[in-house]
Amino acid sequence: MLGRKTVIGKMSNESFIVLSMFGVLIIFFIAASLLVPRFFNIQTISNQLSQQAELIILAIFVTFLLVSGNFDLSVGGIVGLGAVLSAYFCQSPTGAGMELARGLGMPYGVAIVATLACCMFIGAINAFFVTRLKVASIIVTLGTMSLARGIALIITQGSQRNAGLPYVFKKFGEFSLIGTINASVVLMIILVIIALIIEKKTVFGRKTYYIGANPVAAKLSGIKVEKHISILYLSSSFLAGFVGVIMGSIHNAGISSLGEGFEFDALVITLLGGTSIFGGFGSVMCAVVGAFILGIVSTSLNMLGLSPDIQTIVKGGITLIAILSQRFALDHRTT
Amino acid sequence: MQMQSNFTWTTFKNIFVFLVLALIVIGFSAVSLNFLNPANIVNILRMSIPILLVSCGATLIMVAAQIDLSVGSMVSLSGVVYCILLKNGFGFFWGTLLTLGLGILMGYINGLLVMRLRIVPVIATLVTLYLFRGIAWTLTPRQIGLIKGNMPEGINDFARAPVFLGLPAAFYVAVAVIVIMVIVQKKTVLGKYTAAIGGNMTAAELSGINVVWIIWILYMITGFLAAIGGIARASYLSMGDPMTGNLMELEVIIAILLGGTRFYGGEGSVLKTVVGALIIMCVSIGMTVLWIPPYWQSFAKGIVLIGTVAVYTLITKKVEG
Repeated sequence: MLGRKTVIGKMSNESFIVLSMFGVLIIFFIAASLLVPRFFNIQTISNQLSQQAELIILAIFVTFLLVSGNFDLSVGGIVGLGAVLSAYFCQSPTGAGMELARGLGMPYGVAIVATLACCMFIGAINAFFVTRLKVASIIVTLGTMSLARGIALIITQGSQRNAGLPYVFKKFGEFSLIGTINASVVLMIILVIIALIIEKKTVFGRKTYYIGANPVAAKLSGIKVEKHISILYLSSSFLAGFVGVIMGSIHNAGISSLGEGFEFDALVITLLGGTSIFGGFGSVMCAVVGAFILGIVSTSLNMLGLSPDIQTIVKGGITLIAILSQRFALDHRTT
Repeated sequence: MQMQSNFTWTTFKNIFVFLVLALIVIGFSAVSLNFLNPANIVNILRMSIPILLVSCGATLIMVAAQIDLSVGSMVSLSGVVYCILLKNGFGFFWGTLLTLGLGILMGYINGLLVMRLRIVPVIATLVTLYLFRGIAWTLTPRQIGLIKGNMPEGINDFARAPVFLGLPAAFYVAVAVIVIMVIVQKKTVLGKYTAAIGGNMTAAELSGINVVWIIWILYMITGFLAAIGGIARASYLSMGDPMTGNLMELEVIIAILLGGTRFYGGEGSVLKTVVGALIIMCVSIGMTVLWIPPYWQSFAKGIVLIGTVAVYTLITKKVEG
């Protein structure tokens, strides 16, 4: 009997959790379709996809960093920074009147490159403090979040920059396949697929898990932990900046408040979907599933007429239930 | 010779936060004499009351290697509940008593999640941050976004009416709390156990310290202090504002780090955290006095946080030789 179990083989804990949460997602989806009027139609469903797209893209590297045992709370601030810088860099330098209408006049392509470079600089600060100075990542990234958001606020004097933008600025935002499937959604799908490949098939992905599971052993095995984590932080800030550029394009303005709260939302969906806060366990798929669970529940409650304030309570409550039930399921799995 | 230079770095580390406060005050005054205006100082102290109170409890929590991200939401919810109670005729005595009870309850919930359900403090208090904030928002009527109007006479007294040196009763309550908490930290068993738990939780447990109970108490104390802070803020504004605690958790963390408490626990000082909180309040309000626009606040906080962390890390390396 024991032999039989080992021959057939068990799916990994990670797949078990992802499939379970996916099951939960399906249940919620069916419940919402049955109980909430007008939920089961193309418009609502595609709205769901585009709402979660940006958050999921951010959650990709939040997941990788969490798996490696680190936090990245700066992503929300970098999104705002990316949007604002992309606008500021390409605003025409000879705008009429106010200071907020004049920028550096770079061509759009150059502006994007410069923006991403600046965002990666924030990531470099993260990497430096976490790997060199060995400061707790939650503190460092809280600081860089304020820093990034602060720069965005200063450049826009607290509001936004929307005048004198080149025509091509909103091209990203206007791109759409079917209905509301816009640039963010396409990017999300591509990036998630790439992330899953990295996570499951590449050495880089495996190293991330080892580092999270046992950083000392990883280092002694010859893994260059500091370099690895630095790459993760730089990539995270790069993607966050890119999300900011796209969001700026969608709104056709560099709004300083873009991405506010995203860092915590990304963390919440990552944990909801099953990634462990202790590191060494989890998947990008967890964040994807978590995002849609939260999205469906929030939208359903909204459509049922409940005040949006309830959503905050729901966020907290669902995360709590999810974490507890995942732990319960994993503990009792082997019996 | 070796002992001499170690001694200097250690003292530097101990007085660093006081030096920074002095620097900030001198700096701001040098730019604008308005800063030293008694009315301005009274204002700064009055606005600091919630953060001063909460930082005491939060320091002990961080010394025990835990964290409490829900402090801002606890202050907001306390203020909202306090105003609702007053509006519905509960009177100051019962209003205060019930709100303080709520504070202890919120702390109890935090303790429950962290210690009984064994959820990592970051996540547990993030969850309660959302929970408490959501409840505060739900209790507030949507259109107005505040609990106001029909407040009993004298609601402002606690946090505004000058009692001594132009400072209100609430301030002296905060001072009393700070004194008590400093004594608790340095002289009582609770304080010693807290440091022991933060230094090495397993060793503490094996030494017979009831870790679960101690940390639970710390969370309840923080909740209680947050409730006082909420009452003070509500009294100051004569309104219940569910947004008043937003971002307070960040400010509290900065204050604690400015005071030299290690994030991983085991080492810290309530008194220095209080000085750290004063630094933050001076910086935020000082910037207003100097006509620096509010959109510089986020950047300033980020710089202060990163800078403090960098300086302390470098100093600690020197201290440890």
